[in-house]
Amino acid sequence: MTEYLLRRILQSIVVLFLVTVFMFALVHAAPGGPTHVLLGPGMSPEAMKIQEHNMGLDQPLPLQYLHWLKDMLTGNFGYTFKNHIPINTIIWPTVGNTLILMGAAWVLSLIIAIPWGIYNSTKTYGISDNVATVIAYLGFAIPSFWFGILLQEYFSLKLNWFPLSDMWTVGKQGDIGNLLWHMVLPVTVLALGFLAGYLKYSRASMLEVLHEDFVRTARAKGVPERWVIYRHALRNALIPVITVLGLDLPVLVGGALLTENVFNWPGMGREFVEMALAREYSVLMAITVITAVMVVLGNLLADILYAVVDPRVQLGKKGGASV
Amino acid sequence: MARTLLEIKDLSTGFITEGGIVKAVDGVSLTVETGQTVCVVGESGSGKSVTSLTVMRLSEYDGGQILGGEVWFQGENLLTKSQKEMRRIRGKRISMIFQEPMNALNPVFTVGDQIAEVVRMHERVTRDAAWARAVEMLRLVGIPEPVLRARQYPHELSGGMCQRVVIAMALVCHPELVIADEPTTALDVTVQAQILDLLRDLQQKFGTAIMLITHDMGVAAEMADRIAVMYAGIIVEEGTVEQIFERPHHPYTIGLLKSIPGFEGERGTELYTIRGNIPNLARLPSGCRFHPRCPFATDRCRQESPPLRKLDEGRKVACWYAEDVAAGRVTGAVTGMDVESTEAVPAELSPGDGQTAVRGAAK
Repeated sequence: MTEYLLRRILQSIVVLFLVTVFMFALVHAAPGGPTHVLLGPGMSPEAMKIQEHNMGLDQPLPLQYLHWLKDMLTGNFGYTFKNHIPINTIIWPTVGNTLILMGAAWVLSLIIAIPWGIYNSTKTYGISDNVATVIAYLGFAIPSFWFGILLQEYFSLKLNWFPLSDMWTVGKQGDIGNLLWHMVLPVTVLALGFLAGYLKYSRASMLEVLHEDFVRTARAKGVPERWVIYRHALRNALIPVITVLGLDLPVLVGGALLTENVFNWPGMGREFVEMALAREYSVLMAITVITAVMVVLGNLLADILYAVVDPRVQLGKKGGASV
Repeated sequence: MARTLLEIKDLSTGFITEGGIVKAVDGVSLTVETGQTVCVVGESGSGKSVTSLTVMRLSEYDGGQILGGEVWFQGENLLTKSQKEMRRIRGKRISMIFQEPMNALNPVFTVGDQIAEVVRMHERVTRDAAWARAVEMLRLVGIPEPVLRARQYPHELSGGMCQRVVIAMALVCHPELVIADEPTTALDVTVQAQILDLLRDLQQKFGTAIMLITHDMGVAAEMADRIAVMYAGIIVEEGTVEQIFERPHHPYTIGLLKSIPGFEGERGTELYTIRGNIPNLARLPSGCRFHPRCPFATDRCRQESPPLRKLDEGRKVACWYAEDVAAGRVTGAVTGMDVESTEAVPAELSPGDGQTAVRGAAK
């Protein structure tokens, strides 16, 4: 287990390194640059040169990369070009805000989707199953920004039940009730998106397992039907579901670009769009690095969980079949 | 003292398909006495597995519908019981051994857990006591180092080992009847013989009756007291193992026996096969179900379905010309099958010599 973990962590570091190189190159290949934004279009080439020199942008690209990497490793994401604000102070609060929003939507959708999907697998094409199918179709088919605007239009503008946007009412920062009230609409939008996939996934996975021979064996042993489903089948059905959950983990931090923008939620998704428009390379890089770390961690976590539920997955050992 | 343990009366089980109800089992009657081994033999699709699953009331979970009949077990009709009541019988009084041991075990639980679970389902014992019983049972089915093995998962054991685990699971509560559905089909030849030996040993030890489903006449020769030959959902011939092997009366039985490769046969000679395939149950032929494949079929066979009738003591057969077929006097149009040699049942397949037979078939 430890050996496996170490190997996976080493692999992850290599992956992360490659991601940073690639992202660095990509961002610098994009047209426009911070000097344009800072100085405006009417500036003389000489002034641009001086500005570039001051910011170290005239150095060779590999050197710039190494500089940046060194800072990154010490947890220093640098400063914004425009206002010279430390990026750390911008980015971590947005990560937190996104986590609150996405975490709530994710957990909510899991709580609903997994038990419901499992129930539906035991009563296929019943009323409950058909309702779930319709919801899943809607979840897949409706664009989140449109659904968000629809909810705003109806529940906020017409009925005035929930606030239109933002995270807090001005002057009420820190009030949990106020936060929850603001969360209802965006969480609904995001949860529907997660729900669609998880509902279908847990149902399909369970349905497949219910046709396995060992389920019949369990019944032949005199195991009550409820146990057959929740003890024998469920553990097996959860294995593929866990993979999907692990792969979704980075999304929790990566943020929902569209939904955050629609609801003006001060999270990573909104930040990314704003900073991209402002050509703030350093912030974009920071966001990308954080997302990359989450992707790698998510995969690692899924692998570990996988091994916990499935004894056939033996971490670090070559298959243990004997005799 | 043998007495009737299980009596299947006129059992029919069907599956609903787009083309209507397909009867996988169509009026099967069969009796198993205490301590006896009854083999149900037939090709894939003959309805033998569905029969056994219906006795367990498990076919319902696969979409099967019981269309009629009775299954009497120790004075109770199992077909009138609720699934809840059946739960108390399954694993405790009737248990089952399946074809693919690797798939029949749950991959995420240790084998010890899976055996102990049967005990805990049916007896009021502590977890530890159930576990001890599981380990003891593993030892009984011949698994070395049972204490260690009990903690392993199915994927850590070989196919033969897994089948021993499944057998341990089936016998741990000392059931009166074990239904074994092709228990050796998925196993290596050498392991097959070991498993059959084990089943026989345990049968003697516990006095269990066995209903053995197989397509292998060699296995039937080695194990059976009585044999029922099934074809397309019905029993076409039934009798003691001697009756079936010494003097088969149904052309299908004869065909099955002839298609066992004997080791005395010359290399290069073609193996005997029954021509054609088992019919689609949704579109059964008129008259006798076997007539399209039968070398002796007459117009009567094409029009009228022969009933399963009693011949000599203990033998039943569903063929209009059973006596003639058995005696080699055949009246029908003869095509294909070499009628001269209805006695061409390989000599080594006499039942007293069953051991040789299965080994022969195996090699």
